Amino acid sequence: MTAPLSVGAVVLITVATAVIGMRGMRVARTPADFMVAARQVPPLLNASAISGEYLSAASFLGIAGLAMLDGLGALWYAVGYAAGYLVLLATVAAPLRRFGAYTIPDFAEGRLASPRLRRWATVMVLVICGFYLIPQFNGAGITLQATLGGPYWVGVVVLGVVVTAGIASGGMKGITVVQAFLYWIKVTAIAVPAIVLVLAVAHPPLGSVDGPAPASFAHTTVVRFPDTTRVDVARPVTVVASGTVDGGRANGALTLHPGNHTVAAGTSLRFPAGSAAPAVSSATGSGSSWSSPLLRLDGGRGHPLAATYGVLLATVFGAMGLPHILVRFYTNRDGQAARRTTAFVLLLVSTFYLFPAVFAVLGRMEAPALYLTGQTDSVVLALPRIMVAGLGGELLAALVAAGAFAAFLSTSSGLLIAMAGALSHDIMGRGVRAFRLSALVLGMLVTVAGLLVASVPINVLVGWAFAVAASSFCPLLLLGIWWPRLTRVGAMWGLALGGGASSLAVVASLAGFGSSGWPALLLGEPAIWTVPVAFAAMVVGSLLTPGAVPANLTDLLVTMHLPERLRRGTAGGAVQRG
Amino acid sequence: MSAPPVPPVPAETVPLPGQTPARQAVRAPARRPADRTGAPGRDDLLRQDDYGRALLGSLMRAQLGATVSVLGPAILLLALYPLLAVLVPSLARDQVAGIPLTLLVLGGGIYPPLVVLGFWYVRRAERVERRFGELLDDR
Repeated sequence: MTAPLSVGAVVLITVATAVIGMRGMRVARTPADFMVAARQVPPLLNASAISGEYLSAASFLGIAGLAMLDGLGALWYAVGYAAGYLVLLATVAAPLRRFGAYTIPDFAEGRLASPRLRRWATVMVLVICGFYLIPQFNGAGITLQATLGGPYWVGVVVLGVVVTAGIASGGMKGITVVQAFLYWIKVTAIAVPAIVLVLAVAHPPLGSVDGPAPASFAHTTVVRFPDTTRVDVARPVTVVASGTVDGGRANGALTLHPGNHTVAAGTSLRFPAGSAAPAVSSATGSGSSWSSPLLRLDGGRGHPLAATYGVLLATVFGAMGLPHILVRFYTNRDGQAARRTTAFVLLLVSTFYLFPAVFAVLGRMEAPALYLTGQTDSVVLALPRIMVAGLGGELLAALVAAGAFAAFLSTSSGLLIAMAGALSHDIMGRGVRAFRLSALVLGMLVTVAGLLVASVPINVLVGWAFAVAASSFCPLLLLGIWWPRLTRVGAMWGLALGGGASSLAVVASLAGFGSSGWPALLLGEPAIWTVPVAFAAMVVGSLLTPGAVPANLTDLLVTMHLPERLRRGTAGGAVQRG
Repeated sequence: MSAPPVPPVPAETVPLPGQTPARQAVRAPARRPADRTGAPGRDDLLRQDDYGRALLGSLMRAQLGATVSVLGPAILLLALYPLLAVLVPSLARDQVAGIPLTLLVLGGGIYPPLVVLGFWYVRRAERVERRFGELLDDR
């Protein structure tokens, strides 16, 4: 399937991003300009930029896809992604801006007077950004696959080249405007199709979504199976097959009798309109568990309440620990502006999250083929063309393709900047050349990793990045700002135990350990135990080493908590990065 | 409502947030430098003594009060709804005007209170800082 309009939209977004970014590059002159945009970014523009950077492939594709696959309880991810900004606003926004730390390693070193802690924090920055970047590339692969029909690697490589080249040649100055622009593209690209599909296009009543699952094919549908799949047919159905079914070549009409059938990779089956869609073992079964307000990953996993709390802990406390977001707070004029900016971010992000659920519900009723092929993550991209025939559907599909690509571009460039900044500043030696080289090396590494990740749902991958952030940087920031007795020893214990345990749990989960019951929950939703472990380790470690409290503690606390307006006459000023 | 930052009385040991206050005798403010007229000043904040620490502690406590009064309701909202869903399983099937309740709550209804709490926090935090500023300027 070729979709010239969608291809045009993706190209247009990429070119527009590059052009605005290049203009920014010409304005940047010194390395300082290059790294941080001028401080005078007004709150609404800055909030748009933060939201633009924050709303990633997980928000644009992943939430709708996971909710369609596992049930509406997956919307807790979106709630947590938004609520994380309320926590960030009420605990760290103003003090961090007042402290003047530009990155989390800066904060760690400045607050606790320990270059060693700084290096540990740098390692955590690379780990968290890495976990977060890979699903963006995964999403780009899915998007170009869904719009062009080409192989998965094309999208991954295109995004890798565009972002790496953009970062290595551009800088933050242009990116602030670019990120703000991309937020408005994204919110338009998800809101307009969602509203049109719900209000202007015929569809079954929303209330019937919890009927027997999966639904039936509304139109004659050709289903292409990218992987070998076992399907469970409930009622006999005659399809037009091309490929291999149950081990035998099949070309032309084929009747699938009730029972299990194995469809080989590369096979396509044409289902007649009105026929019931066969079930796939991974899809959630009955209706009321699909519309339950509890998270049921993989269609169950057995402990929905604990899983829900695990995701909430990770997302609500993880947002503040995302390394690429903190940089943006430095571009606020002062602490009060940082608070106002954050409140606007909460508003902008919440507005966006009103729409993914629409795609999940309509997708469950109208696009059962996505369950069969395991491509629910592409529901946002595929639904407009399934529900609207002709030019209207093409236009809507082009709009969502543009929005999706905007999501990958903005988040992955922000993440790559944060990673390259951390790597060049702390490990490779400072300066613009080291920054560019770091961006180049990391960009290539992550592109390769993006090619390797299997079909893990985007949102699950991003949720893991949040879990690691919530188990490492969240306690560092919260305790560092509000608890005077935190010491460098305690902070290191917390980073090592919380960050280490959550990272290992994620890697174990990726490697396939823990497939059911409590092991699956504790490895798949590590935040539920690693966040408390990280806090406890920091508190205990600090209480055991009271002598390691920094000597200039009062100065540091005054700098973080005294409003700038009152600062004249005190020694408190922005702590300069070393 | 938030307690305005109270000009602290110099005492033997005034705890910072997080420390357990020890029982202590309240004494007249006799240890102030002679050149002071009554209200605390900015320089007092940086003094490494109990008085400076108390002044800073009062600002941090007032800020933390605003934080808790906003995050408390938000965390209750987020933590109680899943629990309610376990206790009242019919929530998974309930519909309002033909739309599944879960879609209405998780897909929309839960966001307005979070946004309102956010903007309310901005106002409260700015008020706390304004009052503290008035306190310092009153010298």
